[in-house]
Amino acid sequence: MKIIGFHLMPWPYLTPADISGSDSSWITMSNALYDPKKGHELYETYFDQLVYYDEVGLDGVAVNEHHQTPYGLMPSANVTAAMLVPRTKGTIAILGNALPLHENPLRVAEEIAYLDVVSGGRIISGFVRGIGAEYHSMSMDPSVSRERFYEAHDLIIKAWTEPGPWEWYGRHYKFRYVNTWPRPFQQPHPPIWSPSQGSSETVEWAARNKYVYLQTFSDTKSSERIFGDVREAHERLHGLVMPELIGWSVPVYVGDTDEQALAEAKPHMEYLFNDVLRMRKDQLFPAGYLTVESTQRVMSAKAKGLGTGRKTCEELMDAGIVIVGSADTVRDTMIDRQQRFGFGNFSGIFHFGTLPDELFRASVKRFADHVQPSIAPLGLPTGHALSAHNPQEKAS
Amino acid sequence: MHAVVDTRTLRVGSTNIRLLESGSGDPLLFLHGSGDLGTWPTVLDSLAQSFHVLRPDHPGFNLSDDDPDIARVSDIAFTYLEMLDQLGISSCVLAGVSLGGWIAAEMACMEPSRIPTLLLIDPIGLRQRGTFPDYFMLTPAELAESVYATPELRQEMSEMMATLENEEQLFARYLRNRASMAHLGWNPYNHDPKLAARLRRVTSDTTIVWGAEDHLVPVETLDAWLEALPHAKPVIISDAGHLPHIEQTDRFLSAIDHITAPESTSTGTK
Repeated sequence: MKIIGFHLMPWPYLTPADISGSDSSWITMSNALYDPKKGHELYETYFDQLVYYDEVGLDGVAVNEHHQTPYGLMPSANVTAAMLVPRTKGTIAILGNALPLHENPLRVAEEIAYLDVVSGGRIISGFVRGIGAEYHSMSMDPSVSRERFYEAHDLIIKAWTEPGPWEWYGRHYKFRYVNTWPRPFQQPHPPIWSPSQGSSETVEWAARNKYVYLQTFSDTKSSERIFGDVREAHERLHGLVMPELIGWSVPVYVGDTDEQALAEAKPHMEYLFNDVLRMRKDQLFPAGYLTVESTQRVMSAKAKGLGTGRKTCEELMDAGIVIVGSADTVRDTMIDRQQRFGFGNFSGIFHFGTLPDELFRASVKRFADHVQPSIAPLGLPTGHALSAHNPQEKAS
Repeated sequence: MHAVVDTRTLRVGSTNIRLLESGSGDPLLFLHGSGDLGTWPTVLDSLAQSFHVLRPDHPGFNLSDDDPDIARVSDIAFTYLEMLDQLGISSCVLAGVSLGGWIAAEMACMEPSRIPTLLLIDPIGLRQRGTFPDYFMLTPAELAESVYATPELRQEMSEMMATLENEEQLFARYLRNRASMAHLGWNPYNHDPKLAARLRRVTSDTTIVWGAEDHLVPVETLDAWLEALPHAKPVIISDAGHLPHIEQTDRFLSAIDHITAPESTSTGTK
């Protein structure tokens, strides 16, 4: 199993007073609350933490992009990855570029290829649509989000794989000359990951393209159903299940004991889910972001989108949205989930909310020493996934 | 008394447009707002006493098809000009509310001679002035609170909209309309920066009606329209929000009697 450490780089200094009086930490939470001096120190800590994943022997690090929110302070995943290239040895997973939010997908094609060449082929290229709120934050029409995602993806893959120059006249992007220099180091292109919360269309799309489907921020019940759909799609489309194309991402805290772990993680986990993830439902699901049918389902009063209602750490643990416990507990839980879900990639969100540096490091160290050795041999690749766009590798 | 409302479907290009119509006389094309769920408000019955009223559902709204080629409001304006071609209507009164007002204004820029009379009701399309909420962040109930001004109607409509999600078909229609509106008005927010200059081409006798207490598109925005259309006749209706023709139907009708009962105009022949 490939095991990587993820970071959101949240702003940890929001006070209850900052939060009261509004129902969202996205879009309109004033950046007057941001302090660049504290921000400078925070980035030093956060980058050191990402490097620490590499030092303790995880297979890689993972970063992403978020916009105009204290939830995540990486406005560009590619810039973040660039700063990590000289400081790490393992994989750098960019999870991912929010394609529809970018005006120019060729910039994404160029930057990923650039990072891949400089890093000697250590880049994983995740493609996402971005959180609903970010369509407000970037004034991007959410009703064409899915169309733009697919078109940008098709353009980027073609830019990486078909020698240029050629023309592209799509509905959303128009280029007289596509001719990307540099081309990616990994041939035909870096592995593509598709982080999602379980849209059936994304499950099918990732399976068809032999991309890694990465399930994020979901309870055990939904994950079990969605991973079942993923395995079914693998069987149907390719005749076998490929764990190397299945990924699970979850916040994890490893303490000395279960009690200590809960006590240490609780306020920081609750800050993540209740204070910075919180947003109105019409921000999470802006007009046209999902199909009418899906919107009808998620907007109903019964449906509780994460971030749209308060949750305790214990509730999050019971639902399986987070894992908090001793090394034994975390290991047993992970083995159980691996057997039920079938993933061969694991993205651990070891930093969450306000978690102090010393607790983060202790938790990651316990994970690397006591959990990783037991789960690393699980979910091994079948070798079939490599052939997705690469007949040469299949032959070798 | 309710007029008989006929329904038919017209094919314009490759898009099916549902058209509601009633009355006889000179044609009056009425273009609805984005929150309209496909209704025939009573004010149209009154207009149908003087006109042959045609009320289409916009492409992407209510019971009309989606048209993937529509990316901006001017695309809908072209669709409706083509629809008028098909119907053989060379000249008509053109009325539009909110989004419909924006479409109507675009049509009047494109073919001024075809639109001798233009009636805009709380139109969007020019950059809004004053203080207003983000339409795209409002729940159905909050939307109703922004749209209506009189306390009783406001409460009645917001209560109705709060339970809209239980009406499966209507809620689906609301969500589709909202997505179509997002496509047209997400950015720039519900306006086209080029419209003001284009409005110089308009030669129609223009009336612009505004609800004095429109919280969604504040009445200050009327000034922007009067700057672009200096010969237009402004009418502000008190105790009305974004939909003065619904909320104060009688006051609205008397405010536009120069359109409905002009002394100089002969009766229609249909």
